[in-house]
Amino acid sequence: MGNPMKIRAANKDGVTEVKVLVSHEMETGQRKDSAGAIVPAWFITELVAKHGDKVVLTSEFGPSVSKNPYLAFKFKGGAKGDKITVSWKDNKGDSRTDEAAIN
Amino acid sequence: MFRFSKPLFVFALFSASTVALAVDKYDGVGRAATPAEVKAWDIDVRPDFKGLPKGSGSVDRGQELFEEKCASCHGSFGESNEVFTPLAGGTTKDDIKTGRVKGLSSGELPQRTTFTKVATISTVFDYIQRAMPWTAPKSLKPDDVYAILAYLLNLQEIVPGDFTLSDKNIADVQKLLPNRNGMTTDHGMWPGAPASKGGIGNGGKPDTANKACMKNCKPDVLIGSTLPEYARTAHGELRDQNRSFGAVRGTQTLGPEAAKKAADAGTLELATKSGCMACHGMKSKIVGPGYNEVVARYKDQPDAESRLVAKVKAGGQGVWGSIPMPPNGHIKDEDISTLVKWILSGSK
Repeated sequence: MGNPMKIRAANKDGVTEVKVLVSHEMETGQRKDSAGAIVPAWFITELVAKHGDKVVLTSEFGPSVSKNPYLAFKFKGGAKGDKITVSWKDNKGDSRTDEAAIN
Repeated sequence: MFRFSKPLFVFALFSASTVALAVDKYDGVGRAATPAEVKAWDIDVRPDFKGLPKGSGSVDRGQELFEEKCASCHGSFGESNEVFTPLAGGTTKDDIKTGRVKGLSSGELPQRTTFTKVATISTVFDYIQRAMPWTAPKSLKPDDVYAILAYLLNLQEIVPGDFTLSDKNIADVQKLLPNRNGMTTDHGMWPGAPASKGGIGNGGKPDTANKACMKNCKPDVLIGSTLPEYARTAHGELRDQNRSFGAVRGTQTLGPEAAKKAADAGTLELATKSGCMACHGMKSKIVGPGYNEVVARYKDQPDAESRLVAKVKAGGQGVWGSIPMPPNGHIKDEDISTLVKWILSGSK
């Protein structure tokens, strides 16, 4: 299930800016622990953002993205009170969806 | 004039409320601070919440304020590492239970944040109130500070999203702070008596031992390594590169001969860079004549230098065969002059 994302969305002059702080370990699979064993890769592979039912952002993440990644993007449209939904899937098959209203 | 006339004036106005403490000792110099002045100065909030102003603020209000006044530097989630180190992040639910951030000692923490380190919530309140926003410190009202602090605590997952922080419940929040047990006082940084005697500190004992020597110290200083001979000239004459005043001189790395060699090496580099060495060898003909041949031909001709400078610049054909030398207008006149002098002096 993962930990909840933090999402802020604000509309200004017809453009909605969405900021997302994802909570995820984002292990690259390149790191070794103190015993010398490789820490298994565990990272987000795909992240999708929707405005209502309309997809406004799809992105492919990979091992090069940092732990707890921060993401900000803008799209035209959106109105106060509209629902923004952000969901990710990771390479272990886990996924999570969170939503927030535009203000 | 100002210092002596003003106190009299103020004394006259505030004599009823002014406490004249120890001013007798400095007769005619200064005056006691007025209660209003002391109040204006005395803005600190202490760990026991002495000095904490009354007020309250919700997480929602804090989010608005944070977005407006703080997010440009700290990021919407206090996550930004651009201007300052991140404010939030790096703690776990376990840390909130234990009051000691595990990541600090285990090394798992990629980056320390404000909330992984701070042990007293009053410090954060005090700092925001005193110093934030960076461009307009002390501009926040107590309610604003409570709201922003509530938002930060929510970012840190210490309090829920519908929380309202106030002077009434801030002490309860202190008990949830992730690193509240992380402060140690048993060292010389604190001035007081040892904790066993009810003070803060270790009785003023310094943290360093300051022993003159440990043991088995060597009686003589031996220089362990020196610049190897072949590397001494790697950076030219070190003595000339040192500052010209003060007691310390750079070591002389070049003798007179070596200095000339270094200068020649510089000219060779210039010749290579200028494209001369593509056609001319130092001691052999390649496309054009070798420099040794040039020297042999122009020996004993006093005007050789100026003629050659003109030739190099304009190019030429016929003196050494049919292959022409291209004109070299792109090379600076002084460089051509340096090169010609170098060639005629034997190009060593």
